[in-house]
Parts: sequence; C-alpha cells; structure tokens
Amino acid sequence: MDINGNDARPTPRRRTRLALTSLAAASGLLLAACSGGTSAGGDADGSSGGGDTLTVWHYFSDDNQVKLMDDFAAKFEAEHDGATVENVFVPYDQLNSKLVSAAGAQTGPDVVVFNGAEAATLALGGALAPLDDYWADFADAGEVSESVVHTIDGTTYAVQGYVNLLGLWYNADILAEIGVEPPTTMTELEDAMGKAKDAGYAGITLSGLPQSQGEWQAYPWISSEGFTYDDPQADALAAGLGRVRGWVDNGWLSQEAVTWDQTVPFQQFAAGRTAFAANGNWQMGTAASDADFEYGVVPLPLSDTGGVYLGGEGQGIGAFSENPDLAWEYLTATYLDAEGQLLPPEIVGSLPSRADAAADELVTGNVLLEPFAQTITQFGANYPSPAVPAASVADVQLTVGQAWSAAIGGQKSPQQAADDAIAALGPLLD
Amino acid sequence: MTTTLAPTAGRAGSPAAPGPRRRRPRQTRLLFMLPAAVFLGVLSVYPLVTLVRMAFSKVTAATLNADWAFSGLDNFTAGLESGDTGAAVSRTLVFVVVVTVLGMGLGLGGAIALRTRGWWSGALLALMVFVWALPPVVNGSVWKFLLADTGLLNTVLLGTGLRDTPVPFLYDQHWALASVAFVNAFAVIPFNALVYRAALLTIEPEVFEAAQLDGASKAQQVRHIMVPSVRGTTLVLLILTLVYGFRSFDFIYVMTYGGPGTATNTLPFLGYLQAFVRYDYGLGAATSVIAVAGVLVLAALYARSIRNEEKHG
Repeated sequence: MDINGNDARPTPRRRTRLALTSLAAASGLLLAACSGGTSAGGDADGSSGGGDTLTVWHYFSDDNQVKLMDDFAAKFEAEHDGATVENVFVPYDQLNSKLVSAAGAQTGPDVVVFNGAEAATLALGGALAPLDDYWADFADAGEVSESVVHTIDGTTYAVQGYVNLLGLWYNADILAEIGVEPPTTMTELEDAMGKAKDAGYAGITLSGLPQSQGEWQAYPWISSEGFTYDDPQADALAAGLGRVRGWVDNGWLSQEAVTWDQTVPFQQFAAGRTAFAANGNWQMGTAASDADFEYGVVPLPLSDTGGVYLGGEGQGIGAFSENPDLAWEYLTATYLDAEGQLLPPEIVGSLPSRADAAADELVTGNVLLEPFAQTITQFGANYPSPAVPAASVADVQLTVGQAWSAAIGGQKSPQQAADDAIAALGPLLD
Repeated sequence: MTTTLAPTAGRAGSPAAPGPRRRRPRQTRLLFMLPAAVFLGVLSVYPLVTLVRMAFSKVTAATLNADWAFSGLDNFTAGLESGDTGAAVSRTLVFVVVVTVLGMGLGLGGAIALRTRGWWSGALLALMVFVWALPPVVNGSVWKFLLADTGLLNTVLLGTGLRDTPVPFLYDQHWALASVAFVNAFAVIPFNALVYRAALLTIEPEVFEAAQLDGASKAQQVRHIMVPSVRGTTLVLLILTLVYGFRSFDFIYVMTYGGPGTATNTLPFLGYLQAFVRYDYGLGAATSVIAVAGVLVLAALYARSIRNEEKHG
C-alpha cells in the first residue's frame, strides 16, 4: 500500500481498502485459530526417535505423579543398559488431540500414559498400537485384573498398572469438634455437613467442572439415586443432581465448585476449614505434605445402587512408535511389573492392578488405602460404563459433566438439567 | 494498490527523476509481496479451505486421517437442532458487544489520557503493553484468582461492607459471561489505546492551540478534534476488536471451561468442545465457520455504513 506520508488521515477509499486489508489479515488469523491449533508435536520435542530412546507422553503436573514417572524411568534405565526414557508433559486437555493429530502425520510417542476411560477415543483415532501379540506372550497376564485391560472391538490397546477411585476424605479434628463419627450413610453425611456449617466450617468440596472430570465426580451420587447408563432415567438423574444442588442451597458446598478441577477442592480441604472432600486416593501425597490436621478416608456413603468408577491411567504403545518392542519392555518393567506396581501406592496412593502386588504388605498395611480397597469390592464400577458405545464415550462424559455443572451452578434446575441430558444421551447410547 | 502521485516536474516523456518517489517496476513490487503471499496462503488460506471442507464433511477421530465423506449441511443442521449453536450465537453476541464497547471506549479514553509525551505516560503505556503481551493463560489464571470467593475483589467488597456475600463472578451464569467478557476487554484495551494514541499524536499541536484560543473546552476538543481525527483508526480497530471478541476462547478455557453448565459456551469454545472434546471435527468446523461468517458480515456492514457516511457527509 502506497500512502502519501504527509497525510496522516487516509482518504475514504484508502480507509476502506485499509479496513478490508486488515479484515482479510485478521480473518486469516481468526480462521487459523479456529481451525484447531493442535500441532502434532512429533519431532525433536517428543515423538518417537528410534535408537534406545523412549518418549513417554503423559499429562501429570502434580509433584508426586511426576516423581512416579521419573522413578519408572530410572527403574527401566537401570535395568536396560543404554536405554533412555524421556517423559514429555502434554496438558490433559490437549493430549488426545495431539495424539490423534500426530497419528495423522504418522508420528507420535513410543508410550502413552492417558486417561484410561479414553482408550476407545485414542484407539479409534489410530493413535494406539494393538497389544494383542504382546499381551498373549505376557507370562503374568493372569495376575492383572481384567477390568483394567482396555479391549476395543476385540483388540487390546492398553492396560492399567494401577487403579484410582474416589473416597470420602474427612477432617478428623473437625468431626471430633462437632461430635460425629465418619459417616457410613447419606443421612449421616448430610447431618455432619450441617453441623460443620453451624460450627463455621465448609461441609464438602468436590469438582463441578463441566467436562469428563465432572462426570467422574457425579457418577457416585447419581448412581446412588438409581441412575445407570444401561437404562438412563431422568428422574433418577434429577434426584442425584438435586441432592448435590441441595448441598449448595444449604451452604454445605460452595457453588464455586463449578470452576474447580479435582486438584483445587482437595487443596481447599487440606487448608483445614472443610469437613469432607469427595476426592481420590491419588491425593495421599498432597494430604501428607499439606494437611496439618488429623484426617482419614471412608468409602463414599452410597446406596446399594451406587457405583464408584475404577479409573486411573491406561498405558499403551504409540501407533507409530519406532521402538514398539522396547516400549513393551518398558511397560513390563514398570507399570506391569510386580515390583514396579508397588511404586504407585507408595508415591501417589494408587492401588495396584496385579493381584500379587495388591496383596503386598505395603498395600494391605496402609490404613488410607484400605477404604479404597473396600470401595472397589463394594461399589467398583467399570470406567467408562460398558453400556456406553466406544465412539460415544467422550460425548456422554461431556453431556453428563455439563448437566452436573449446570445443576450445581444453578444454570438449570436439577430436573431441567436431567431432562436435557437424557434427551442428548438417547442417540449416543443407541 | 497504488495512489495517484503528483506529477513530477519535467518534460512529458522524460525518464522519471531518480529519488524516493520513483516507481518500482511492477514485477519487483510483486516479488516483494511474494513471501507475504506464500506465508498467508500456507497459514491462512489453506486452513480456511480445510476448515470449510471439514464443515461440510463427516469427520470424527476415526475418520480424521482417512477420506472425509461429504455430508452437505448435516453439521450445520445438527448444531442448530440441538440448540447448542443458537444459544452460543446469543452468548457470543453479548460477549462481542461487551468486549467491543469496553475495548474501544476505554482504549480511546486511555489514549486521550496518555496523549502527552511525558515520562509517566510512557511508563504507563509500557505497563499496559506488558499486560497486553501476557499470555492469555497467565492473564486468565491471575484473573481467576482475583475473581474467586477468596480473591482480591471479593475480599475488598466483603471487608468494606459493600456486600455480605461474595460476588459469584465466575460461577453464576450471568456474572460468569460478563466476567470473562470484561477480562477479554481488559486484555485488548492496551493495544487499542496504543494505536489510538499513535493516531492522536499525528494531530498538529497548532490545531489544539487554535481551539483553545477560540474557547473550546477539553471535552469539545475531544468531541470535535480528536474523535473525527481517529475515525479511520476506529474503523480498523473496530474490526480487529470484533474479530478478537469473536475469537473468545482462551480466557473462557482458563477461567470457566464454558461453565457453569454451558453458560459461557461462545461459538469458538463450543467449536473447541465439539472438535477436541467430543471429537466431532465436522460439527466443530461448522460452528467455527458460523463464527467467521459473523465477523465478515459485521465488518462488511460497518465498512459500508462508514462509506455511506463519508459519501453523504
């Protein structure tokens, strides 16, 4: 554009041209942004590089979880001369997109540590390599619980080295002050939260985020009211959502929970001003380091229909790994190894998926792990529910997570949130 | 694009005099444009074409890396029938209005306040540019802390007795949309102020001296000298701010994740959820195309109205 430099103010025609040029450039930028800025990430900064180097993509930022990754890397490197493990952090919300994009470019990591519930998404996106041959030859396969082997359309793509689940953390000092025992029924829990509020404390913390974390947190409470994915009924869903919204109305739960992921509410609990936290076994390290009060865990006080998801991270081999055999050796030396499986309970507080490791004194002698082990027996539910088709898992989790958030945040009444969610779930569950 | 230059002195047909006003041959100018054209083509035109193609195809995680089946308007109708797109359009319009009004108004106000060439205005501008240059994730996280129940704003409000309960900035459906829109506006004000200030500094000081001699007040100077002088700048900034408002993704992602429920799902965030959470890339692309179309329509309307205004005085 050739504008006379003596004239600071463009003429009308120039002004329009200038505007349109700016618009074109700006629209271009907008479209580039809208077209999904995920890069494959498959180069020097994280894709399979061949040789004796293994790249492991994960989404952990918590100190204890990062330490576990580092310890697994150290264990493998110590047992395999010349091997190097590079742990690469990818934010949780970007991991799946990056993996699928990388697969499109025929690249990606050697090992993927991901939310086990999303195995179907990654497998359908072509990001995971089949493990059938490796699994068939794995001598210790019989030790691993079948509920943590992720098989999609007859092909095994991932296995979990440990299980994570929710329990009810309680502040023993507050319970002693208000004169109640750790609750075993919903009535006892609500009674205790009421007394805690009267004494100037918050009742409970949990996550009401409108996404998969919200659905994970919602499931125990909605299933306790009779909701299932096999036969989803609006009334049961509304009852579950309504109960928790009632906690907000009573001042036992902060409505701010809709902005919290699962880390924030536990930090709130660890600050010592809250009676209960619905949170996971993986918070043990945080509790030990941050809580300066007596605390304990009991199973969530659910009804007979209640279910607690058995979650945790799945481990698989990248579809375009240049070292698939070495990657499998890494998995069998760490996540699937009897000795390796004792690191997660020790460092993070996760429960082993191997029967022999689960029977170890390190696990059975841990008073905090015991309620979680009891929960597995009493309420353990497959994650995701087998009733949800593989291709719909992400959709279902988002739909229920948004309903959970809408009810807690007061965007919709519990009944309206439930009705909308059931309407959306219909075609997804067919 | 060229403009007519004043004829150079000399006989008709004589070679152009050497100097800064000599025209470069057309091919040379095209050569200079080539890198920018290639850059724009690769980074803008190609993604745009891909986006539009995706919007009219059935693309999921399973088919992303395979052939895309043409699906006509299915993605658009699916979004509209579910009610998600319509609701997101309404929220986006509210969002864009708040961001544009605050961003333009306070940008111009800031520029007028910082029109002087003193050191303090330079320091304040540097601080504003620092705020503008902060990554949205950092900016958004800081604001999330500030707006929390135990954050600075609520602490002050409760401490001064102005309120008995915290303001639900990020967890009430109406407050949340207003809050993320405000933070988006906050982030664009420094840029707008900077550009406006550059435009204001081109006004000759004699113009203000003459106005003062004629008895014009400060407000009259703003209304009759400054505002008309920055009209061209306003057009460009308005379009950029509109585009910025329509791009409302990063702050929402950091501060509310579209919640509570779906209360802050604007078109770009809805597109993100559809494409990168639900893995329905076709549906997400269709939503993004609607967002882009909205920007183009608004910009075209505004450009035409400015043209008409100038034509008819």
